[in-house]
Amino acid sequence: MKHTTPLHRRTLPPNLVGSDSTPSLTLRSDRKRNFRDAVERVLTRSWTTCLSITVAALTGCGQKESTDPGAAGGQRPVVITQKPVEIRVKGSDTMVQLATGWSEAYRKVKSNVFVNADGGGTGTGFAALQNNTCDICDASREIKKEEIEKTKTVTGKDVKEFVVAYDALAVYAHPSNPINEISIEELREIWAENGAVTSWEQINPAIKGKIALFGRQNNSGTYDYFREHICGQTSAGKQRELRGGISEMNGSAEVVENVSKTPLALGYSGMGYKTPDVKWLKVSSKKGEPAVEPGTDVARSGKYPIARKLYLYTAGEPAGEVKAYIDWILSPEGQKIVEKEGFVPLK
Amino acid sequence: MAEFQKVRARKKFRFLDALEKPIEVLIRLCGWSSIIGIAAIFLFIFKEAAPMVPKLDWIHFFTSARWIPNPAPGNPPSFGAWALLVGTFATTFIALIIAVPVGLGAAVYISEFARGKGKETLKIVIELLAAIPSIVWGFIGLMVLGPIIKGIFTAAPGSAWGKIMVAFHLATAETGASQGTNLLTGGVILALMSVPLIVSLSEDALRAVPDSFREAALALGANTWETVRRVLFPAARNGLLAACMLGMGRAIGETMAVLLATGHNNRIPEALTDPVRTMTATIAAEMGETVHGSEHYRVLFILGIVLFIATCGINVASDLIVKGVKKANQS
Repeated sequence: MKHTTPLHRRTLPPNLVGSDSTPSLTLRSDRKRNFRDAVERVLTRSWTTCLSITVAALTGCGQKESTDPGAAGGQRPVVITQKPVEIRVKGSDTMVQLATGWSEAYRKVKSNVFVNADGGGTGTGFAALQNNTCDICDASREIKKEEIEKTKTVTGKDVKEFVVAYDALAVYAHPSNPINEISIEELREIWAENGAVTSWEQINPAIKGKIALFGRQNNSGTYDYFREHICGQTSAGKQRELRGGISEMNGSAEVVENVSKTPLALGYSGMGYKTPDVKWLKVSSKKGEPAVEPGTDVARSGKYPIARKLYLYTAGEPAGEVKAYIDWILSPEGQKIVEKEGFVPLK
Repeated sequence: MAEFQKVRARKKFRFLDALEKPIEVLIRLCGWSSIIGIAAIFLFIFKEAAPMVPKLDWIHFFTSARWIPNPAPGNPPSFGAWALLVGTFATTFIALIIAVPVGLGAAVYISEFARGKGKETLKIVIELLAAIPSIVWGFIGLMVLGPIIKGIFTAAPGSAWGKIMVAFHLATAETGASQGTNLLTGGVILALMSVPLIVSLSEDALRAVPDSFREAALALGANTWETVRRVLFPAARNGLLAACMLGMGRAIGETMAVLLATGHNNRIPEALTDPVRTMTATIAAEMGETVHGSEHYRVLFILGIVLFIATCGINVASDLIVKGVKKANQS
């Protein structure tokens, strides 16, 4: 017992073991038992969990002082009886900001639930769901048939899908570019393999020079999505690939950063990454049709041609804290975070 | 008292005597460890790549620039690494063209011309330069050097500078460089990263030349420059070549800096300011998200083997060159 004391100080959030300001004797013995339980829990868990709890404790400390001034009263035991729960979230890089936003806001709703939000890519998230190394998978595309089957054979559970937000892929250009709108057909000839358009004067004589293309790396969900929606099909009925000679960036913000520094640039990235140094091109589904500027209403209604749904997936019907978390995400409170992070809420 | 000291000395001697064998073994092990390490690394890389070696279309791998490892559903993947090879060697070549003269020049200045405080300051600053992490160099390339190079290599279409750029393959279009992160930016960043290595190693090599050589040259009436060119360079030849080779090794194997500074763009560069993509950056960007054991994963290891063989080949070649020069001098 004596050797565990420093460990408890290091790893457990103070609001879980009670604070020293609670004077009652009965509480103290209660606390002792809880404390022993907690230490055992910590010792039997992997170090990553310990680490996440440490981080949560450190950040929690600061919050507690400001939001919980009446802690010295008799309310502490209520908190004491709750066990810390960890929800592991992994998946789409596009959704990392959003997932972190949710996890931070949720700590104020339920202080004993620690949501560990991680990126890595949609494909990585599905793999983690199969290996049971995550509870929820963020996905910026719909799950593929073989991924459903693989999850079924490995875990024995059907995947459950939740649409949680919309995302619109915006086409970014430099502010000095005189072009303001572009059609899907033109985008196809610019981006697809063997496409006919390589320089700006083929789109509009007002601007001259080769188009510098900036996209995402070939294992990101954004890349998959853009290829699927822009490149179309070859004459043989197969999906057309993206052309070579595209600068493939490792992050959505990096695409925007590069476009802002390159006058002849054209790039695609999530709608949430716009900065004052770049501009959106309005997109029309066909040349001659009215072009639509990316925005929340048009993304939801499907008027904007390159909008997509964002999903959460779980293996099997979610239960307990995971279910409560997903319900909260779908509630108006969770959807407020969606809007705050630059995505499009469901309603 | 004197006798006591003698006994102690003898005792100490005996103690070391007993340790001699294990120490010898230990030192031998240290000597062999690098060989063991290299063999183990090669075995590991080869083991991961092996299942793909008979399946890979090698001609396509070395001649096609079509790198599509994650094709759309229903399409076959395409592993054409020609553009990655060209990108790697082009950036390294540009880096060496800049780094070797600058590095050797700086080494000669520090070892033969600089005196006193200036010499010490220079040495310290150059060593500081070597301590900058590569990701920082990458950011400098992306945020600072890229825009500068973009500014220099930009012209109005039809202007003289635009025509010169196209004529001398400085840019593919008359408007100049399409983007700031390109071959030249990557090359300059790599040069800046390998210069400190080249300088400190060459300076060591020059300092290792006995002073009697310098004195003899001066006595024959040579000035400092003649001494450096006719006496010191030939005498320190091996060390200088080794310094350049290590600089090249640093440049060819660098990953994070080129990932940020070259544009990471899979194409054959036609001009100095075209964006490129290197093998190392490709491995770094794609390894993290490939499925363990998939074709894509194995091909990334094959890229690693190609890189490994290339650097080994360069080192062996430089060794042979050094030996060849030695022989020619002796006969």
